[in-house]
Amino acid sequence: MRVVVAEDLFLLRDGLVRLLDAHGFEVAAAVEDAPGLLTALISERPDVAIVDVRLPPTFSDDGLRAAIEARRQVPGLPVLVLSQYVEQLYARELLADRAGGVGYLLKDRVFNDDQFIDAVRTVANGGTVMDTEVVTKLLGRRATEEALARLSAREREVLELMAEGRSNSAIAQRLFVTEKAVSKHSTSIFTKLDLVPSDDDNRRVLAVLAYLNG
Amino acid sequence: MSVHVQDLVLPVLAAVAVAAVVVIRIRTNGTEAAKGRRGRLREFGWCAALLVLSVIVMSSVSSLPLPGNLSSWWIALPVVAAVIIIISWPRLAARIVPVALIFYGLSGFVVARDYAFGGVINSYGLTAVGKPGLQADLILPQAYGLLLLGGWLVLHSADPVLARLRQRLGPVADAPLGQQLRTLALVPVVAVLAGFLAPRLWLAGGAALILTPLLLFGVLLVIRRWPVRAAQLATAGLLCAGIAGLAITAAWRGSVSVVVNEQCSISPQPPGAPQPPARLSVSAQPGKAQSVRITPVYRSSKPVCVPALRTFAGGGTAADVADVVWGRALPYGAVLVDSSTTAVAAGVEGLALLALGTWLAPQTFPLVRRMLGGTPDAELTKRVERLTVSRAVAVDTASADLRRLERDLHDGAQARLVALGMNLRAAERLIPTSPEAAIALVAEARRTSVMALMELRELVRGVLPPVLADRGLADAVRALALDSPLHVETDVDLPGRLPAPVETACYFAVAELLTNAAKHSGARDARISVWHSGRLLRIEVTDFGLGGADPAKGSGLAGVERRLATFDGILAVSSPIGGPTMVVMEVPCVLSSPKTSSS
Repeated sequence: MRVVVAEDLFLLRDGLVRLLDAHGFEVAAAVEDAPGLLTALISERPDVAIVDVRLPPTFSDDGLRAAIEARRQVPGLPVLVLSQYVEQLYARELLADRAGGVGYLLKDRVFNDDQFIDAVRTVANGGTVMDTEVVTKLLGRRATEEALARLSAREREVLELMAEGRSNSAIAQRLFVTEKAVSKHSTSIFTKLDLVPSDDDNRRVLAVLAYLNG
Repeated sequence: MSVHVQDLVLPVLAAVAVAAVVVIRIRTNGTEAAKGRRGRLREFGWCAALLVLSVIVMSSVSSLPLPGNLSSWWIALPVVAAVIIIISWPRLAARIVPVALIFYGLSGFVVARDYAFGGVINSYGLTAVGKPGLQADLILPQAYGLLLLGGWLVLHSADPVLARLRQRLGPVADAPLGQQLRTLALVPVVAVLAGFLAPRLWLAGGAALILTPLLLFGVLLVIRRWPVRAAQLATAGLLCAGIAGLAITAAWRGSVSVVVNEQCSISPQPPGAPQPPARLSVSAQPGKAQSVRITPVYRSSKPVCVPALRTFAGGGTAADVADVVWGRALPYGAVLVDSSTTAVAAGVEGLALLALGTWLAPQTFPLVRRMLGGTPDAELTKRVERLTVSRAVAVDTASADLRRLERDLHDGAQARLVALGMNLRAAERLIPTSPEAAIALVAEARRTSVMALMELRELVRGVLPPVLADRGLADAVRALALDSPLHVETDVDLPGRLPAPVETACYFAVAELLTNAAKHSGARDARISVWHSGRLLRIEVTDFGLGGADPAKGSGLAGVERRLATFDGILAVSSPIGGPTMVVMEVPCVLSSPKTSSS
C-alpha cells in the first residue's frame, strides 16, 4: 500500500515513516510543506495520504487546505488528517464532499500504533475515521435532542463508536458483545434516528456523521 | 350652542373602545409576558397611549375631504386598528406609540403647508387649524414637540426592535448624554433649515411625507458615520438658522392680504402654458385693492395672507407677486411667520438658536476653543482618564494571564514530564531483571505523555485558539457556534482579517457570552452576527432565553466590557425580563485585505 506523508517536523515525519515501514506500507513520498504535498498527491496518486493540518508556508491550516484541494482534483483520494487539535469546523469541511476515504485524528493517536494503522487502512479502503473528541463534542451538542434522548445507554455507545468509523466487528470486540448484538443495536439506532439503514460500513458511518452534523 | 349628533360620534366611539379594551384586558388578566403588577401597569399605559393617539389621529383624519358616506367609517379605522392591536398583541403598543408619534409629528409639516396655502385640514392634535390667530401658530410647535417626544421614547425604549433600531445609530447610542444631544441636534437643525430654505418642497403635501423620512434617514446616516462632523454641522446650522431668524424680523414689511377671485377674467395666456394663471385681487396695506398675477398653486376662495418680505416690484394698480412664493405663512422652525407678531417671534427664536450655537461652538470646534484660550476639553480629560484605566486593566490582565500560564505549565505538563522521565528511568533499570514490570511502566509513561499533551492542548486553546490563528475571527466564531451546547445561528460578514489583538479579544468575548447564555439564560437558540462597516466591527450575540441579564450583577459581562475598553470597544446589553437578551459589542478597527492563498 503506497502512502504520502506530509509533516513539517523532522522527528515526527521520521517517526511516521518508520512506523509505516514497520507495518508494511510503502512510503511513496514524505514532504514537509503544502505545495510539495499537493504536487506529490497529484503525481503519485497514493493509496492514502497522512497529512498534518499545520504546514509551511504560512503555518496555519495549509495542510488541510491542500488535502481538500487535492480531493477536489482527485475525488475520493483517501486522506487521513492529523492535528494537535481537533476542530468540528475542520471535520465538517473534510466530510463536506461525502465521498468517504477521510480521517481526522489527534496526533496522540499515533501512540497506539495498532489502532492508528487500523485507521490508516480504513481510510485507504474508502472508510471514514473520526477522532473520539470530535464525536464526543458532536453528541454533546445534540444531547438534549429528543431523537437522541430516545437511545438507550448501550445504543449511544454503539452510535459513538460507529461515528468514529469502527466496523461492527471492532465495535463488538470493544464492547465485549457479539457482532449480532451490535447489528441489532445499529438497526434500532437507525430506526430511532429515522435514517435509511445500510449494510455497507462506510455508508453507515457517513449517514451517522451527516445526521450528527446536521 | 346646539350639539349635533355627529359631534357625539367620536367621543362615543372612543368611550366604547376604551370600555371594550378594559373589559377584555381585565378578563384575560394580561399576557404571560407582562409579569407582575408593574409590568401589567406599564403595558396598560402603553395600550392607553395607543388608544389616545388613535383618537387624536382619527380627529385629524376626520377633517379630510373624504367621500361622504365613507368618512365616518374611514375615520373609525385608526381606533379599530388600535383596539385590535391592543387585544391581540398588547406588547406591540410599546413599539408602535413612539414610531406613530414621530410620524404624526412629521404630518404636522403637511398640516402647516395646508394651512399656509389655505387648505382644508382643520384639526391637528389639540389645534383647530381653521380658526385664526394663536391656533394655527400651535401646529409647528406641536409637530416638533411630538417628534422630540417620539425620538426620546425611541432612545429610551427597552423594546428589542426599537433597541436594535437605536443600536443602528452606532457610536452615538452609547455616547455620553451631552455628546449624544450635540450630535442628534443635526436632525431638528436640518428640519428648521429645510422648512425655511425650501418651504414649497418641504411643505408640499405628500412629497413632504416621502421627503421627510428620506431626509431623516440621510441625516441619521451622517450622524452614524461621522458623529463628530455631525455635531459640527449642527452647530454651524444653528448659527446660520439663528441669523436667518434675525433677518426675517429685519426684512419684515408687513403682510398683504390676497383674495383669490376665481370669477375674475383670466389674463391672456401664452400658447403652451401648462396652467392658466389665476387672477387675484390684492389689497396691500395700507389697503388699496390691486390686481396681481399669482401661480395657481394658491388658488383658493379663502383670503390668503402673503408675507411680504419684499415690496412689490412694478407700480400702478397691478403687481406681480410671483416672487412671493410662500403662501400665507413662512415656516421658520416652530413659527409660521404671517404677521408682525410672528415675525418678532421668529426673531426671538433666531436669537435663541444663535445663543445655542454660540454656546456649542467651543465644544464642537477645537479651533474656536483654542482661539478663546479656553479650559482643556472636558471630554479630552475624560478620555485620558478612560485610557489610564483601560491601560491599567490591559497590563493587569496580561500579567495575570502570564502568571496563570506559568502556574498551569508548572503544575501540569511540567510535572507530568518529570513523572514520565522517572518512569522511563525506572523501566530502564527493570528491563534486565523484570521485563514485564518494565513494560507496564513504559505503558504508564505513554499514558502520562497523552495526559501531558491533553493539558498542553487545553492551555494553548486558552491562549490562542488554533482556528483563530489559522482562519481568523469569522471561522473561529463559527467554530464556537459548533462547540456550544446551544443551537447557534451565525451570520458573519468579514471580508478580511482584523488586527490580531482585536481578533483575540473579540473571540474570547463571544466565547464568554455564549457560555453565559448556555449557563444562565435557559435558551435553546442563539444568534451571532458579526460585520464590519466603516471603521467599526460590530458583534451581536442574542439568546432567546429568559432575559434579565444585568452587567452590574454578574462579573462576566463587566469583565468583557473592561477588556474591550482596551481597544476603545463598547458593550451594550438589552435584556428585558422575558428575553431575548442581546449584547452588542463595537470595536473601532481597520479590516486588512483578505489574505491571498499561498499554495
